[in-house]
Amino acid sequence: MSEPALREDAAASRVMWIYMLTGIAIFALMALLGLTMRMGQAKWIALDPTMFYAIMTLHGAGMITAMALCGMGGLWYLMNRERALSTLVAYWAYALMVAGVVAVLLSVFPGKFGAGWTFLYPLPFVGAAWPSWATGLFLLGIALVNIGWIVWCTQMFGCVVAKYGGIRGALAWDLVFHPKQFAASGRHEPPPQAFAALVAAVDGLLAGAAGMLVGIALIVHWLSPSIPLDPLWAKNLTYFFGHTFANLTIYMAIALVYVGLPRYANREWHTSQVLAVAWWGTLLFVAFAYFHHLYMDFVQPRPVQYIGEVVSYLAAFPPAVVTVFGGALLIFRSQLRWTMGSMFMFAGMAGWIVGGFGAVIDATIDINSTLHNTLWVPAHFHTYLLEGVVLFVLGWIFHQLEERSSAQSSPLMRWLVALGVFGGGAIFLLAFYVAGADGVPRRYATQPPPGPEISAWASIGIIILLIGFLICLVEAVRLARLRRAVAP
Amino acid sequence: MDFNQTVLVVFLVGSVLIVAAMIGVAATTRGAPQPQSQVQPRGYALRARWFWALGAATALALLISLPFVPYPSSAQLAGAQHVKVTAQQYGFVLPATIPARTPIIFDVTALDVNHGFGIYGPDNRLIGQVQAMPDYVNHLPFTFSKPGRYTVRCLEYCGVGHAYMQGAFEVK
Repeated sequence: MSEPALREDAAASRVMWIYMLTGIAIFALMALLGLTMRMGQAKWIALDPTMFYAIMTLHGAGMITAMALCGMGGLWYLMNRERALSTLVAYWAYALMVAGVVAVLLSVFPGKFGAGWTFLYPLPFVGAAWPSWATGLFLLGIALVNIGWIVWCTQMFGCVVAKYGGIRGALAWDLVFHPKQFAASGRHEPPPQAFAALVAAVDGLLAGAAGMLVGIALIVHWLSPSIPLDPLWAKNLTYFFGHTFANLTIYMAIALVYVGLPRYANREWHTSQVLAVAWWGTLLFVAFAYFHHLYMDFVQPRPVQYIGEVVSYLAAFPPAVVTVFGGALLIFRSQLRWTMGSMFMFAGMAGWIVGGFGAVIDATIDINSTLHNTLWVPAHFHTYLLEGVVLFVLGWIFHQLEERSSAQSSPLMRWLVALGVFGGGAIFLLAFYVAGADGVPRRYATQPPPGPEISAWASIGIIILLIGFLICLVEAVRLARLRRAVAP
Repeated sequence: MDFNQTVLVVFLVGSVLIVAAMIGVAATTRGAPQPQSQVQPRGYALRARWFWALGAATALALLISLPFVPYPSSAQLAGAQHVKVTAQQYGFVLPATIPARTPIIFDVTALDVNHGFGIYGPDNRLIGQVQAMPDYVNHLPFTFSKPGRYTVRCLEYCGVGHAYMQGAFEVK
C-alpha cells in the first residue's frame, strides 16, 4: 500500500526557517553570555554579582526558549506536511514568544532582574537588587513565552487528533492492540514524528497550564504583595512548568532525526508497535519526572519522591531502547552518506544518551543528596541540550541546505567541525561534571576551590566549541549560497 | 576515592562505552552494506535482550538505592538531638558546636526566600544537604563520625549574595 503524499509548500518552509533561525540567533547570543559567566567564574574577567546573576537569568530563560523555538519550527514544518496548518496561528505563537523574549531581555538589560529563570517564590520580591518594574516585566515576558507555547501546543494537538482519528488514532492504539484489524482497515499509522508532536502538545499543555497558574499568582503577588503564596506549591508548579518545557525540547527535536536520518541512510524509520508504546511511556514519564527537582524538599510527600526516582529511571527506556537504538539500527551496515547533517544527527543521539545517563544518576535520591545544585546539574542538561538538541537542529538545518545546494562539505570540513563542536564540547562538559562531583555549587558568581581552575578549563572548552560553531556557520552560508539549479 | 568521585568514574566509564558503541555502529557504514530487511530481525532480537538487561539493571539500581533515602523516619525524629537552623539572606543561624557520634536532626527553615543547607566536611567535600524554605521546616538526619570544622554553604540560589552565604560549626 502506498503512503499518502506529503505536502510541501514555500509558506511552511518559511515558518520553519523563521522559527529555527530565530532560535539559533538567540542560542548564539546566550552561548556568548554563558562564556562570559564561565570566564567570570574563572576570574579571567571581573563580573559584578548583580550582572552575573542577571546574565545567568537571561542565559537560562533564553536558551530554553531558543531550543523550544527550533523544535517548534521543525516539528510544525513536519506536521504541516501531514495536514495543512494555519501559518497565521504559527506566526501568532512565534510573535508571542518573541515578544516574551524581548520583555525578558529588557527586564535584564537594563532592568538587571536576576532571580534566575526559576524565579522561585518569593525570591523575585525579597531583597531584590533590581527595580520592581523589572520583576513585573520578566514575569510578563515568561507569561508571553508560555502563551505562545500554549498556542503552538493547541495547534499541534488539533493537528494530530484531526489527522489520525482522535486521541486513540494519534496514540496508534489499534495498531498496538488490534494490529490485524488495523492493517485490514487500510488506515495508516501515524509516522514517528507525529508521536513527538502528540507528546509535546499534551505534556506541553499540562506544563503550560501549570506555568500560567504560577505566573498569574506571581503577577498578582507583584501587584498586591499582601497576598501570600505557598512556597512549596509555587516551587512544584514552577518546576513542573520549567522542567517539562525544557525536557520537551529534545522530544521535539528528535522528530527531525526521525525524518532526516533515514534519507541519508536510504532506509525507512517507520512506526512499529514498540515505537508507539515507547512514546506512550514518554508521554507519562515526562509529566512526572519533575519531582526529582524537589528531592531535597523533605516536606514533599514521601511517595512523590519515590515516584520521582522511578519515573526518572523509566524515562530513559524509550530513548535508550527504542529511539536511539532504532537510530543505530537504521544506519547499521547501511550506505549512510556522511555529511554535516547526518554527522550532527547521529552524534546528537550519543549526546542525548550520555546526558540522560548523567540525569539518571542525579535522579537517584541518595546520590542527589551530594549532587543536587552542584555543577553536576548543569552538566547533564548542557550535555543533552548542547550535544543533543542543538546537534539535531543543526543536523536538520544542514540536511535542508545539502538538499538544496550544489556543493557538499568536504571530509576535512567535517573533521574540523567535529573537533570543535565535539572536542570543545567534551572539555566544556567534563569541567561541569568534575566540578559537580567535587561539590562545587551551581549559580555561584564566585566559586570556592577548585571551582575557578575548573571554570578556566570550561572557558577553554567553550571557546573551542564556539570556533567549531563559527566554522559551521561559514559552511552553512557557503552551502546556502551555492543553490542547486532547479529544472524549470 | 569518595562517593561522588566513584559516581563520576562510573559516569565517565559509562559515557565512554556509549560513545564507543555509537562510533562502532557508525564504522559499519564503511563496510559491505546489508539490506534493512536483513539487519532488522537481528536488531530487534538484540533490542529485546537490551530491554531486559536494562530493565534488570534499573530494578537492581532502584532496589539498592531506594532504602538509602535521606528522609528521617518517625523513630529518628523522636530519638535524635534536634538542632535548629535558620537561613536568611545571606547567612545561617546555627549552633557553633555539634556533638560527634550523636544522632542529630537539623530542623531547617528560612525566614525570607528559599535557601539550601549544604554541609561540607573538614576535607571540603559535600556530604549532605536539605532545602531551607520559608513557612516549612525540613528535618535532615545526620550523625557525624569525624570531629572537625564543617562548612555550611547555601545550595539554592537566593539572590546576589548567594555565593557568599556561608556558616560553620565544629563537631566535637
